[in-house]
Amino acid sequence: MAQPVGAPRDMSVWESIESFLSEPETWSGPGSIWVRLGEHLWVSIVAVVVAALLVMPVAVWFGHTRRGSEVATAVVNIGRALPSFGILAISFLILVRMGAGIREPWAVLVALIALAAPPMFTNTVAGIQTVEPATVESARGMGLTEREVLTGVELPLAVPVIMEGVRIALVQVIATATLGALVAWGGLGRFIVDGFAQQDQGQLVAGAVLVGLLAVVAELGFSKLQRSATPRGLRTAR
Amino acid sequence: MRRAFRSRAVGAILAVALVVTACGSGDGAVDGEPIKVGSFAFNESVIVAEIYAQGLETNGYEVERSLNLGNREVVKPALESGEIDVVPEYIGTLAGFLGAEQSADPAATWEAAKTAFEEVGVTLLQYSPAQDKNAYVVTAETAAEYGLSTVSDLQPVAGELVFGGPPECPERDLCLLGLQEVYGLEFAEFVSLDAAGPITIAALEGGEIDVALLFTTQGIIAANGWVSLEDDLGLNPAENLVPAIRSEVVDAYGDDLVTLLDSYSEALTTEDLTELNRRADLDQEDPALLAEEWLTDNGFIE
Repeated sequence: MAQPVGAPRDMSVWESIESFLSEPETWSGPGSIWVRLGEHLWVSIVAVVVAALLVMPVAVWFGHTRRGSEVATAVVNIGRALPSFGILAISFLILVRMGAGIREPWAVLVALIALAAPPMFTNTVAGIQTVEPATVESARGMGLTEREVLTGVELPLAVPVIMEGVRIALVQVIATATLGALVAWGGLGRFIVDGFAQQDQGQLVAGAVLVGLLAVVAELGFSKLQRSATPRGLRTAR
Repeated sequence: MRRAFRSRAVGAILAVALVVTACGSGDGAVDGEPIKVGSFAFNESVIVAEIYAQGLETNGYEVERSLNLGNREVVKPALESGEIDVVPEYIGTLAGFLGAEQSADPAATWEAAKTAFEEVGVTLLQYSPAQDKNAYVVTAETAAEYGLSTVSDLQPVAGELVFGGPPECPERDLCLLGLQEVYGLEFAEFVSLDAAGPITIAALEGGEIDVALLFTTQGIIAANGWVSLEDDLGLNPAENLVPAIRSEVVDAYGDDLVTLLDSYSEALTTEDLTELNRRADLDQEDPALLAEEWLTDNGFIE
């Protein structure tokens, strides 16, 4: 009779991976690696950009006026404690009730923005506040307006720390965007969730490895970006 | 003098403690390892598992619950390895899963599934008259637009439609795989959702999928005016509910346990399941409370 379904296939993990990589659907069509990679990267970048737009202005103000460092610390601590999965589930239920599409990434975006915001907020505040007060004072002494002090002195000097915050946010978001697959979205998490449900180890491992690779590439790529954005006078040998 | 009094007092307390613990198994409590009750990750499975669990507890058994574990790919190994002892199963899908003969005849399907499962140390008790099969559901609008009343009616239009179901659906005989092989259906797209749960229901409601995999006992189908397409080529076998239980647990506890679980199976009907599901899916009532109510209404709990 029919082969028992769902029994762990008599394949080693390697064979399963090979099998997955040799399937045509893996490389073309709506469920291909390229499509999922694109979705994943796109949503991750949007989440970081939106989170930045939301928190940077406030953070810059806090930094420049040298206030609220306790708030900054509290924000990052609370932020770390927020359960992304919990936020995702609640957002999903609310958004569906409001008529949002099931397969749209709105719920994932909410959870990822909540994840990306705290490190960027805190690093921006800290970055500006740790600029040497003497430097800022002498800039004022030279007759620069507050705005010029901020944009000409404080921000450029704070760039390394601020970009560090963005990098942390981006890598965390890339890793966490896999959760979207649990609420009918796509992304690389789709391979992990479906691979697990179908006991298809090849698919599962491929998905996990791809997410890891994407995170590492983002980390390294962004480090390069950080270095080139740092004012030359501040660059230290790494 | 005081020391002698204290040691006698301690002795008396110890003696009382010993006597109390000896009787402590209490009135009607059953000795032995706790029975681990598991379930799949959809409401009906949780409700029936709770019926087993609460029924056993009322009769003095100690019970541990592992509910909402996942699909059969997760639950079957857990049962085989002893991480769970009993789970409510469906004879047809189970037979197919084990590579055994499945048909519309409950007795034959049950026998085939039982024989196959016993090879790995799990047996099946008496099956219930209650059945729950896979349902292929469209909205009333879709049915009207394409003139659908049976699954075969999908043949000319499947290429324009989106099918939504649980992630394991493409691999399952009673889901996409079977629909392809028996009905020749090739859908435009498959969307991976959940096991006939809130995500699938919302996707069908929102028009993001055209055909949903649901279960025949989900009262929400009728409540929403949806159409469950008739399985005219008989893809689905008999799907009577049955307790799948580790043979060693049956041997350890004997007839009393079997009689108890059989009594619940006997009392459960398809109408019961439909009503319970409707209240869980639509009214969002708690499965454990629904189980308690069912047990009380059927005289198993005072």
